[in-house]
Amino acid sequence: MNFRKLLRRNETVLIFAIIIFSLVIGSRSPEFFTAANLFDILRSSFVQLLFALGVLIVIISGGIDVSFPIVGIFAGYTAVVIMRKYDLNEESLLIPVVLAIVIGVILGGFNAIAIAGFGIPTLIATLGTAGIFRGLMLSFIGATFISNIPVGLDNFSTADLIKFESDAGTLVRLHVLVIPVAIITVAVSYLLNRTIFGRSVYALGGGIESTRRLGISIKRTQAKIYMLVGGLSGLAGIIYVSLQRKASPYDLAGSELDVIAAVVLGGASIMGGYGTVFGTVLGVLFINMMKNNLVLLGVSSSWQRAAVGVLLVIGITIQAIGENRKSKRERLAADQDKE
Amino acid sequence: MNERLQRMNTSGLLADRKVTQLMAFTAIIFVVFSVSSFNIFFTPENFKSMAYQVPEIAILSIAVMLSMLTGGIDLSIVGISNAAALVAAYIMTEQMNQAGELSNSWILIACLSGILVGLICGLINSILIAILNITPILATLATMTLFNGIAIGVTNGISISDLPKQFIRVGNGTFFGIPTPFVLMVLIAIFVGYLINRTGLGLKVLLIGTNRKAAQYSVMGDRKVIAWTYVISGFLSSLAGLIIAARTSAASPDFGNSYILLAIVIVVLGGVNPMGGFGTVTGVVLATMVLQMVSSGFNALRFSQFFYLAAQGGVLVLVMILNAVLENRRVHQSVKKSTGE
Repeated sequence: MNFRKLLRRNETVLIFAIIIFSLVIGSRSPEFFTAANLFDILRSSFVQLLFALGVLIVIISGGIDVSFPIVGIFAGYTAVVIMRKYDLNEESLLIPVVLAIVIGVILGGFNAIAIAGFGIPTLIATLGTAGIFRGLMLSFIGATFISNIPVGLDNFSTADLIKFESDAGTLVRLHVLVIPVAIITVAVSYLLNRTIFGRSVYALGGGIESTRRLGISIKRTQAKIYMLVGGLSGLAGIIYVSLQRKASPYDLAGSELDVIAAVVLGGASIMGGYGTVFGTVLGVLFINMMKNNLVLLGVSSSWQRAAVGVLLVIGITIQAIGENRKSKRERLAADQDKE
Repeated sequence: MNERLQRMNTSGLLADRKVTQLMAFTAIIFVVFSVSSFNIFFTPENFKSMAYQVPEIAILSIAVMLSMLTGGIDLSIVGISNAAALVAAYIMTEQMNQAGELSNSWILIACLSGILVGLICGLINSILIAILNITPILATLATMTLFNGIAIGVTNGISISDLPKQFIRVGNGTFFGIPTPFVLMVLIAIFVGYLINRTGLGLKVLLIGTNRKAAQYSVMGDRKVIAWTYVISGFLSSLAGLIIAARTSAASPDFGNSYILLAIVIVVLGGVNPMGGFGTVTGVVLATMVLQMVSSGFNALRFSQFFYLAAQGGVLVLVMILNAVLENRRVHQSVKKSTGE
């Protein structure tokens, strides 16, 4: 029984999907199984994973956030602008990162006021704030892209943990970010599973009324969630700026769907109350693996978005069928109990 | 139903407080911009250009409103309208001869194929939402990515332009002095208004939005009603797409990405309850005009387009906050009344 339960879990399905997909690609082009390619997939996943962890928390709590990429680029871009304007220490990496996180938390605070303070539906509130943040950034902070970002950030983009030349002559690089991102991932998992705050996030997604009866403050929990997500998005934004080695205020907008797709593929329930960090990590890796390697399969890169769409439709359909079956079983069981 | 009809007849449009408020708001915005920028805003040219820009976004907003009335939401409208416009434009350019001429029947066929695409897309949404029971936000998010992705994949992201003259004339011409798209919009608004207020389907839509559980227990086929809603929404989106193509003489896979936010702002500003159950077509059309006036006014005053984006978001959040505050006060008052204080 335990084994069958394990098989039915979303994570197991995803792992199988990843294995099958890699075998298919690997058999068609051996390039896929090189360390360089795997490290590339990791590198392109960092920013998305940080965003996805934030979105996971929101989705578990039964909400949805579409403002996070705007918050991220707002924080990243503004941090660079502030560094330039006040001539802060060029070499420092800590200053822009802290700045970005603080800006992210403040923007998240605005979301928190709209959602927790006034009870606006989360989708509408974050759509609105995304428009406000983007409009304000482009009209008042800057609309030009900055190519010479501070030296500290610039150097960080090439800070590699492992760097060697492979037999084929290509440069294999593993970015040092893999360590902090792994630590943050574990920390979010710990936060969700082992702290009172994390458990109240799950409770909130399970049902608002029952959470209230448990004596958990809905507003305070929601406020914490959106500020935490703001901070995570700010961090992701500044890392994005660093990895791109330029700060463009037009970037990231529109990438929210890919991240939400990854989280949903990872098995998080959009109705709230269910979702795991491990599933999200797998979802992000799967989507990036597919996007990076469609070309190896001979599919033109303009089909990337359609591929994400197909994956998303298949993913949610499988989940919905499972969900419908489960509720039917439960209904039948309840009927039998009555008899 | 009879009671509802009576209410509609006796006091007319003014019976709805939200629409009255919105009418006042429209008038105020109009006066403010006319005074602050008389030479540019208060000109026939400006009104004419507004009348050409309002219809497409109004029709998209009406489509969003329909899904919102059932308590759902349709995020795939822009994806559907672009897909429909692309298919129609593709057929037209393929059939066109060297001189760029095309017979009217082929244009009709192209438009009908575009509408067919809209219906199919709407049907896919219906299957996901009504049959598979997927949350509307999630289902339409997925189909939006899918439709948009297919459009980009097929066209390689390049737009199709230079459509036949007769087709462009529909989007840029006038009908008895009134811009044709505007006339089409009025016809569609009347059609949807009739659908919501005078048909069984409309009543069921409102009932589902008010209380899904009660609708389920009354065995009226709630899934069928929801399925119809998304098919109609797809149909309206495809019409909007054709009008956009006719106005701009082009179809592109990434046209109007910002229209999703705008349509939701309009619908909420128009007094539709995002939880479902309440909303009027009049409100939505009025709200479209308000936002168009704000946009044209900002243009006349030389504000940046990004400032307009911020204003859109600001209006959305403010209207929602205002609704929440007013609702709170109303509840408080009725509680006070019932406790006899």
